[in-house]
Amino acid sequence: MRENTPLTIYGETFSNRLLIGSALYPSPKIMQESIVAAGSEIVTVSLRRQNSVAAGEDFWQLIKDTGLTVLPNTAGCHSVKEVVTLAKMCREVFVTDWIKLELIGDEYNLQPDPIALLEATEILLNDGFKVLPYCTDDLVLCQRLAALGCEVLMPWGAPIGTGKGLLNPYNLKTIRERLPDMTLIVDAGLGLPSHACQALEMGYDAVLLNSAIAGAGCPVSMAKAFSHAVSAGRSAYLAQAMPEKEVAAPSTPTMGMPFWHQ
Amino acid sequence: MMGKPKVAILGFGLVGRVAALMLHEKCHVSVYEASDEHASSSAGALAAAMLAPLAESVICETDLAELGLKSMAMWPSLLAKLPEPVFFQQMGTLIVAHAQDKGDLNSFSQRLKPLKGQEAQVLNSAYINELEPELAGRFHQGLYLPCEGQLDNLAFYRSSFAYLQKSDVQFNFNHQIELLTTPSEPVLIDGQQFDWVIDCRGLGAQNESADLRGVRGEVARVHAPEVELNRPVRLMHPRYPIYIAPKPNNEFVIGATEIESQDNGPITVRSTLELLSAAYTVHSGFSEARVIAINAGLRPAFSDNRPRVEHCGNVIRINGLYRHGYLLAPALVSEALSKGLL
Repeated sequence: MRENTPLTIYGETFSNRLLIGSALYPSPKIMQESIVAAGSEIVTVSLRRQNSVAAGEDFWQLIKDTGLTVLPNTAGCHSVKEVVTLAKMCREVFVTDWIKLELIGDEYNLQPDPIALLEATEILLNDGFKVLPYCTDDLVLCQRLAALGCEVLMPWGAPIGTGKGLLNPYNLKTIRERLPDMTLIVDAGLGLPSHACQALEMGYDAVLLNSAIAGAGCPVSMAKAFSHAVSAGRSAYLAQAMPEKEVAAPSTPTMGMPFWHQ
Repeated sequence: MMGKPKVAILGFGLVGRVAALMLHEKCHVSVYEASDEHASSSAGALAAAMLAPLAESVICETDLAELGLKSMAMWPSLLAKLPEPVFFQQMGTLIVAHAQDKGDLNSFSQRLKPLKGQEAQVLNSAYINELEPELAGRFHQGLYLPCEGQLDNLAFYRSSFAYLQKSDVQFNFNHQIELLTTPSEPVLIDGQQFDWVIDCRGLGAQNESADLRGVRGEVARVHAPEVELNRPVRLMHPRYPIYIAPKPNNEFVIGATEIESQDNGPITVRSTLELLSAAYTVHSGFSEARVIAINAGLRPAFSDNRPRVEHCGNVIRINGLYRHGYLLAPALVSEALSKGLL
C-alpha cells in the first residue's frame, strides 16, 4: 500500500483531486450546483473574454461565492506578452499569485505552444507567480518546466474539449515515472469518468476538467460521476495494481493436474 | 360601471411592446422608457429574433421550449394588427457544421429534446442543396428543424410603436423609473396613480434584483445582394450558436456571441472576425456584403437563465428572458397578464 499524501500545490494541501472549470455550463446556477456535486476545492476561471475587469464582476462573484480556491487561467492567449499582461490582471482581480498558464500555439486544436510557454513561465516565476503550466505530454518539455522551478505541471490528456481521454498513456506514464516528486495534473481532453480514473490510477495527483461536465446532458450528475471516478482511481493507485502478465494464470489451482503444470 | 384600469408599462423593449399590444384596448396604458422610442440598447432591438424552440431545447428545459412553440403560434395574430407588415417566417432552420465541428453537430442532435411531435430531420448534401441551393456542395451533413421561424425585429419595433402611437397609449420617453420593492397600492409612478404596473425594464431593474445579470451579445447586420438564403442557417461553433438569419431586402443578421460579461462597449475585433468569417465560410457571397451595423448589447438573465414572472400586489415583473426574448415573449407575457388583467 502506498502512503496517501494530500494533493500539494505550491505548499498548499487539498484533499479533493478534481479541479473544475467554470465555462460553458447551461447556466450559472447549474455551474454552482455542478461544482458542489464534484466536491472540488479548486475552480478555474478565465478572465480573457470578459472585456473589462468591472464588467465580469457579477460572474466572478458567483465563483467567489462558492468559497473555493480560485485558479485563474490565461485561456485565449496566443503570445508571451498577452499571457504576462493577463496573469498580472488575474493577480489583481482574484488576489492570488497562482496562475494556470495557457498559451495557445494552434488555433484549431488549441495545442499549447511549448517554446513560448517556457519563456512565459520563466518571466512569471521570476515575477513571483506560482505557475501551473498547461503543456503537451512531452517529457523534455516537462523536465524543462521543472528545471525553471515549476512545482506543478499540467500535461494534456488530449486537445481541449475533445473528450478523447488519455491519447498517449505511454507518454503520461513516462512523465510520472521520471518526475516522481512533481505534482502532476492531467488537464484537458477528458470526456468520461473512466479517463479521469485512469489518470489517477497512473499516479497522477489530480485531474482538471470542464467540458466533460459542463457539456454533459446533466452536468450535476456527471460531476458526481467524475468525483467517484477520481476517488476510485486514487484508491487503486494507493492499493498498487497487480502487474500485467502476458499469459493467463488461473486464480484457483486445477485439481488433477501435475503441480509443475499448474 | 368601472372604467378601464390604468396601467403603467415600465420599459419599451420587446416585453414592454408585447404587453402594450396586448393591453391597450382594455386598459389606459402609459409607457415609461428610460431611452427613446427606439429603445435601441434593449436586447430585442439587437437580437437576431430567432424563433427556435427545438434548437433551444438543447440548452433550456422542456417547459420553456414548449412555451416557445406556444409563442410561435401567437406571433402571427399579434403582428396582424400592425399597419406596417412585419416580416415573419416559419420555414424552419437549417443547421450545418464544418467538418472539424462535426462532433458538435452530433452532440447537438443527441441533445434535442422531444417536443410535441416536432422532430429534426437529418440531411445529406442532396437534401441541403434542395433546401438551400446556394449552399450546394459546401456541407455534407446537417439538420433541418421544420417547426422553427424568425421575424424582423427592427420592423417589429418600428411598427409596434407606430401602431401604439395612433392608439391612446401615452408615451413618456427619457423617463427612468425606480420601483420600490414593496410598492403601495394603487401604485404611484411619477406622481400618477396606477391600478397596475407591468415592469418590463430588463437590466433597468438590476438595482432591485440581486441575481439579475447581463450576458453580452454581439451581432452584425449586413446587406448581401449576392446571397440568397430561404431560411436561417445555424452554424455550429464551439462557444455559441451563430445564426445567419435572412431578413427582407437581402439583409442578414449574423449573431450572436454570448459572453459572461456586463460590458456593453463596442464589439471586439475577435468577435467581429468570428461572426463575419462564419458567414463567409457558409457563403462566399458575403465577401462583398456591406456591413450596415455591428452592435453589442446585454441580455437580462437570472442565474438559472430562466425567465421570471413575479406578482407583487398590483405590480407584475417580467424579466430575465435571456437569449429567448422573441421565442418566449408572447406566451410568457400573456400568461403573466392573465392573472388579473387579460
